[in-house]
Amino acid sequence: MGLAGAKNKRRLGNDPNNNRWMRNTESFGQKMLRSQGWEPGQYLGAKDAAHADNYGAASVSHIQVTLKDDNLGLGAKRNNGDECTGLFDFQHLLGRLNGKSEEALETELKKREDLKLNSYLERRLGTIRFVRGGWLVGDVLKEEPQEGADKGEANGAQESSEESTEESAETEPSEPPSKKRKAEQGTDKDDEKARKKEKKSKKRKTESDAETDSADSKERKKDKKSKKRKVDSTDSDTEPTKSKKSSKREKQKSESPEDVDTAAEDVKEKKDKKDKKERKKEKKEKKEKKDKKKKDKTDSGAETGESSSKEKKRRKENSATPAVESGVSTPTGSGYSTPVTTNTRYLARSRFIAQKKMAFADSAALNQIFMIKS
Amino acid sequence: MADQKGTKRSSVESDAQDSKRIKTDDRSNPYLAHLNMDGANDDFKSPLDEMERHNTTALQAAKAEDSDTNPWTGKPHSENYFKILKTRRDLPVSKQRAEFLELYHKTQILVFVGETGSGKTTQIPQYVLYDELPHQTGKLIACTQPRRVAAMSVAQRVANELDVELGQEVGYSIRFENRTGPKTLLKYMTDGQLLREAMHDPNMNRYSCIILDEAHERTLATDILMALLKEIAHRRSDLKIIVMSATLDAQKFQSYFSLRKEDPPAPLLAVPGRTHPVEIFYTPEPERDYVEAAVRTVLQIHAVEPEGDILLFLTGEEEIEDACRRISLEVDDMVRESDAGPLAIYPLYGTLPPHQQQKIFDKAPEPFRKGGRPGRKCIVATNIAETSLTIDGIVYVVDPGFSKQKIYNPRSRVESLLVSPISKASAQQRAGRAGRTRPGKCFRLYTEKAFKKELIEQTYPEILRSNLSNTILELKKLGVEDLVHFDFMDPPAPETMMRALEELNYLACLDDDGGLTKLGSLASEFPLDPALAVMLISSPEFYCSNEILSITSLLSVPQIWIRPNNNRKRADEMKAQFAHPDGDHLTLLNAYHAYKGAEQNGEDVKKWCHEHFLSFRHLSSADNVRAQLKRIMETHEIELVSTPFNNKDYYTNIRRALLAGFFMQVAMKESSNSKIYKTVKDDQMVMIHPSTVVSSPYDWVVYNEFVLTTKQYIRTVTNVRPEWLLEIAPVYYDVDTFEKGEIKSALTRLTEKVKRRQAMKGGY
Repeated sequence: MGLAGAKNKRRLGNDPNNNRWMRNTESFGQKMLRSQGWEPGQYLGAKDAAHADNYGAASVSHIQVTLKDDNLGLGAKRNNGDECTGLFDFQHLLGRLNGKSEEALETELKKREDLKLNSYLERRLGTIRFVRGGWLVGDVLKEEPQEGADKGEANGAQESSEESTEESAETEPSEPPSKKRKAEQGTDKDDEKARKKEKKSKKRKTESDAETDSADSKERKKDKKSKKRKVDSTDSDTEPTKSKKSSKREKQKSESPEDVDTAAEDVKEKKDKKDKKERKKEKKEKKEKKDKKKKDKTDSGAETGESSSKEKKRRKENSATPAVESGVSTPTGSGYSTPVTTNTRYLARSRFIAQKKMAFADSAALNQIFMIKS
Repeated sequence: MADQKGTKRSSVESDAQDSKRIKTDDRSNPYLAHLNMDGANDDFKSPLDEMERHNTTALQAAKAEDSDTNPWTGKPHSENYFKILKTRRDLPVSKQRAEFLELYHKTQILVFVGETGSGKTTQIPQYVLYDELPHQTGKLIACTQPRRVAAMSVAQRVANELDVELGQEVGYSIRFENRTGPKTLLKYMTDGQLLREAMHDPNMNRYSCIILDEAHERTLATDILMALLKEIAHRRSDLKIIVMSATLDAQKFQSYFSLRKEDPPAPLLAVPGRTHPVEIFYTPEPERDYVEAAVRTVLQIHAVEPEGDILLFLTGEEEIEDACRRISLEVDDMVRESDAGPLAIYPLYGTLPPHQQQKIFDKAPEPFRKGGRPGRKCIVATNIAETSLTIDGIVYVVDPGFSKQKIYNPRSRVESLLVSPISKASAQQRAGRAGRTRPGKCFRLYTEKAFKKELIEQTYPEILRSNLSNTILELKKLGVEDLVHFDFMDPPAPETMMRALEELNYLACLDDDGGLTKLGSLASEFPLDPALAVMLISSPEFYCSNEILSITSLLSVPQIWIRPNNNRKRADEMKAQFAHPDGDHLTLLNAYHAYKGAEQNGEDVKKWCHEHFLSFRHLSSADNVRAQLKRIMETHEIELVSTPFNNKDYYTNIRRALLAGFFMQVAMKESSNSKIYKTVKDDQMVMIHPSTVVSSPYDWVVYNEFVLTTKQYIRTVTNVRPEWLLEIAPVYYDVDTFEKGEIKSALTRLTEKVKRRQAMKGGY
């Protein structure tokens, strides 16, 4: 707020902490305690108590709390206007002068930009994102619940590396996201142990994915934003359609509710791995359905091969999701693909989506859209 | 709420019944059971007779439980008993009965850790019952609970389980109610109640076993009881003590309860609960507005997560109601715009009327249409949902990381409820709520770093957060002389203790050598703060003990005024009807009298209260408190007198009587045209709370509480004359003890004036 901020004037008494009372050795209380052998600075309580190690600071002096009269979340700092602007640029300059490598500077820059975008998104669309913090089994925090604990992690790493190779082989080589992704997965494999650190950098990377992606083609950016899905699901969903041209976009948009389903399913899947296979089958079917729709538009010749390979890949990715999610700072698999539209601006749009969705639920309408004579 | 818990559980049990119960051999012919029974109790051979006290086995006990006749009453067991017995045997605790008995026989003090849902509160006392065989010794088993509702409902539950009538073999005793009888063997009670009993029975000779339940909550009374019991255990080797805790600091209890320093820690028995793993999520960045974030998270969960109910923790009534409103608005939108399922939202906080609290146990709503998205319920609660009550079906927990906590500052003598960050233990407890029915998720609205760095390990026990004057008075009454070396589990800060001693000394409850005075001893008989008790005891001197009794009870219950947000003006108008220009205390009294008047006129009091924006619940509970206090006054022969109402001193007497207890809570106006007051001796700047009805406050006012918000307020104030202060509390208002300042000079002037007047009177 700085100078322009509201002034918070408060009068304090001469001795708000009442030190005078505390220092008064003549008070009845202090006399009584001293007469029973207490000295200032000592704990009360039994002499040589076995549990004395457990005494805390609150046994020394009264508990001091700060008055909280705002809704600031835990750990958030209020901006009192004393934050300097332009420090980043200055740092950048100093870094260059000190002969930091171009690469290091680049990554720093990226970090910063990501942060900016991050806060922008949050301000604008306001979903709450979460990072995983392990499982609480009884009273103990664990990385994974007991059942099939390590299985998930290890498998995940393996699969994701597999995935990355496949991806690089299959997808368009010019796509920057996939490249980055590959690199990402590389690091994943390398140092699983430094998870937390990695988490952060990854988060940024994933977001930068979205960014670069959007820079790539404005259309796609729009698309992506409207769907507002996180990169995880994006990768799996957009890639098959990437090669398709803009005529598809509309359809894809309308598919987004389905994406929600799959996202939710992913979560479930993570939880009960036993059902995994069944689910996969389901998904496959769903996928096939989708493909069928596509088939109507594209010539069937090349399709079969492509779709089958896609299916394979899709399956892989599906099975990899839990691991990826646990490793990366994905927003929980909860709610990341649906923005909470608190803004009235989005009202009309969501209504539009709902209409689309309804149309897709109706087979007659679908047939009309795709001009199929049944 | 807890009642509901009980019924909920029993309904589960009736589901689980099976009529095909295989009959055990000792239940060979139920049709002949009456033959053994009919009036011939002497012939009846109780399975308990074969059991040897402190040497029983789980098998013997099981046999006794399985028998056709109830070993405690001699009557045949009902059908329902066996149904319940079956489910009882399924509880996790049940599997460790033998192990428990073995440990119980070996040691005097046992620490028992069982997660919520393990069945410890209902089962362990029964296991002890079958081992202590109290009908032989005539000594009872006591089980303490921190909350009154819990004591009542658990006692009811256990009475059902043992197939006895509540108040006979199994009873309870809470502050305003005692349902025990001469036959009582097992007694549930609040911890405060046991402490009160200890005042008259310092060795707890009535009991052979004392069970402290929910010790992890560390209420003030539990902490004092633990220290006392530890002491008594040295004197009475036959007294068995079980400390039951839900989680965590078991080691702390263990090391505390090793009776001598060289002893090993007290033995521990742990029983797993029925909990499922809970997945924890943090936000990557701190949240700007935790309420907003909480609302959105709830909506997000509702939109994308599979079926399961949501529990959101917030800090206070206002915040909760606000959040409920926002969520329901957004959900309506969501439902209109998409095919989201229905979401039922229920607030939950302490001052909510019971029938509304019950609602949280309602089933989640049905989907809008068959096969549609499932409905769910969302409970927005204060931290009473953290430990006290269990709501099944919760799968998602949203935890912003704050709660309202009582904090006492001995320096300014202010006890206040403040929003502060919770502890790590508390956060884990909250998360654990999600794993009651199946694996759940906990969304923490703070970063992992904040969890690790900003949260303290354990919530401070109440003893570190409260004004101790009542506690010190109780300890004195219990005969504890050396307060400095009293064996607290967590010793309070020395300054808190000093303040308490000082206050008691000024109230003349302690003499200058620290001994309990007659007044102090009498004051400790009242379940009240010492200031209130002293005010009540000295009220006959002012010819208004009836009125002071009413005011005391009104001050012991939550605010009776209701001021709904949408109808503030009307509520204020109604309050103005009762207003007395000289004080809020007097206004309270007027409202109470009007209430009693309406009651006597045979009006529908509920309706009357509603029309007058008064809380019927709190007024009737004040009525209840009044009756109880009156009984205590009568036993101690404190006169109940009144000044005739048409006497002009009627209200003056009451105002003076207030000062007899509250002379330490007086504030003086800073200057004649200022609104700021200064508290006497502690020099805190305060303002009179806007809720007051006092139109033209005097320069001196007495206040009931100090409220800390963005500003410092004093609430419930009454005008007083400074001369009264000098007259009623000459020691406290001894001018020489004051620091230089406005108050001192005002008092000096006043003393001179009084002297002059007396001299003039003397002269004539």
